[in-house]
Amino acid sequence: MSAGMDLAATIVLNGLTLAALYFIVASGFSLIFGLMRVVNMAHGAMYLVAGYVGYAVFEPLYDRDVWYAWYVGVAAGVAFAAVFGAFVQVVLLGWMQGQELRQALVTIGLSIIVADQLLAIYGGTPRQFFAPDAIFGSTQVPGVGGYPTFRLVQIGIALAVGIGLWLLLNRTKLGMMIRAGVDDRQMLGACGVNVPLVGVAVFALGSALAGLGGVVGATAQPLAMGADGRFLLISLVVVIVGGMGSVTGTALGAVLIGLAEQIGQALFPTYSVILTFVIMVAVLALRPQGILGRA
Amino acid sequence: MLEIRDLHVRFGQAHILQGVSLSVGARPMAIVGRNGMGKTTLCQAVMGLVAVREGEIALEGAALNGLPPFRIARRGIALVPQGRRTFPSLTVDEHLRLVARRGARWSPERVYETFPRLAERRRNGGTELSGGEQQMLAIARALLMDPKLVIMDEPSEGLAPVIVDHLITVLRGLSAEGMGLLLIEQNLRVATEVAEEVAIMVTGRIAARMPARELAENPELQRRYLGVATGGH
Repeated sequence: MSAGMDLAATIVLNGLTLAALYFIVASGFSLIFGLMRVVNMAHGAMYLVAGYVGYAVFEPLYDRDVWYAWYVGVAAGVAFAAVFGAFVQVVLLGWMQGQELRQALVTIGLSIIVADQLLAIYGGTPRQFFAPDAIFGSTQVPGVGGYPTFRLVQIGIALAVGIGLWLLLNRTKLGMMIRAGVDDRQMLGACGVNVPLVGVAVFALGSALAGLGGVVGATAQPLAMGADGRFLLISLVVVIVGGMGSVTGTALGAVLIGLAEQIGQALFPTYSVILTFVIMVAVLALRPQGILGRA
Repeated sequence: MLEIRDLHVRFGQAHILQGVSLSVGARPMAIVGRNGMGKTTLCQAVMGLVAVREGEIALEGAALNGLPPFRIARRGIALVPQGRRTFPSLTVDEHLRLVARRGARWSPERVYETFPRLAERRRNGGTELSGGEQQMLAIARALLMDPKLVIMDEPSEGLAPVIVDHLITVLRGLSAEGMGLLLIEQNLRVATEVAEEVAIMVTGRIAARMPARELAENPELQRRYLGVATGGH
């Protein structure tokens, strides 16, 4: 196997691990938009807040050398994001249902407040989780060589999220309600379903996914201020490319954008950022509803 | 059963319902009237789908005004809306399981016995059905909610005559079983063959109310209120 092949395989694998993280975060964004028609501009803030809160729980446990420190940190970050998401829907967004511009502005305001509060409480130092020994270190990957184990785990988590979401949407009663609500919210209510409550559940779930992304992302690489804006932008791009409200579309969008970023950085580092937007512009021009989106 | 008193609904400047008063008892009732008279808005107002500013709606004495649609549905009113509005993303079977309740008079099994076509199509999506099948699905969806009163908005719209005959048989069967029926219809034959009583709606008001047979047999009344010369069709 030549060195060039090795490099190409590494770049592809890097792209896929990045795509895994993008998928985890963007699937929550897409879920919320699909049912609620809310462009949740605070989705990146959920990512950031889960990372910091998770870390605050993780650190003292890790210092005491507790083996489950990371798992507790993940659970804390995800739970906090879920509760926060439910709170946002109940207190802020629920009563302005259908007023999309107002909701967008409120969530932008919220994300600014959250980022500043995090800066005030935790300071500006980047944080990074240490994964437990079982998923730390490096693993031999054929054709690539040694590769960080946690990044492979990251792909596994994304697959679990994708399968879990598919099962939830297609095999449970809540899933039926969500799909019916995406089709016709009003009629779902007339069928006796408490649509606002389903909305709170969806908001909590979508935010929990952003939170999971935050903790996983902060384990793979340091978490710093500004990650909220980056992951909000990525979520938007991924669902625009893949198609709003479709799990498979989000997965496809995440893979495309993740690969494009890594390949771009390897081949033409200076202009790699542009590649992402070239893909987005091309999709918007040729298929405005996204590759797998419904018209 | 359903009591509507002096109901007003406005959309901006448009005064759609201008003081509708109507009481629906145990006997099936139909509301007829030309297009744009406010019949669909009345259905939506009862179901809580449009805002009611003035007037009262009560089911068995309990006020429904201001309740969200899902509470009104749980109180015992089911809507079979105009255009069916079945869910494209749900299969026939999922439609039924979504609304099925334990201990209700109707179960998915009973629906499949009553509408064998739906049993054949149980794995199909809500929009892969013919108009008649979609209508049966919309009716089945309403029945599974175990309602006291079913409101049907133009159920015969766009259906082939032979399907309309089937629909009439189904609706008469439901009524004979004691299900309350409020039928909005432009098809005079469906209205008068299913309902015992007919209310005529003209520009947002109930203009007249009479036994269904009287309207069916009186072309003069039909011409005056509905602008049609003959019953039937």
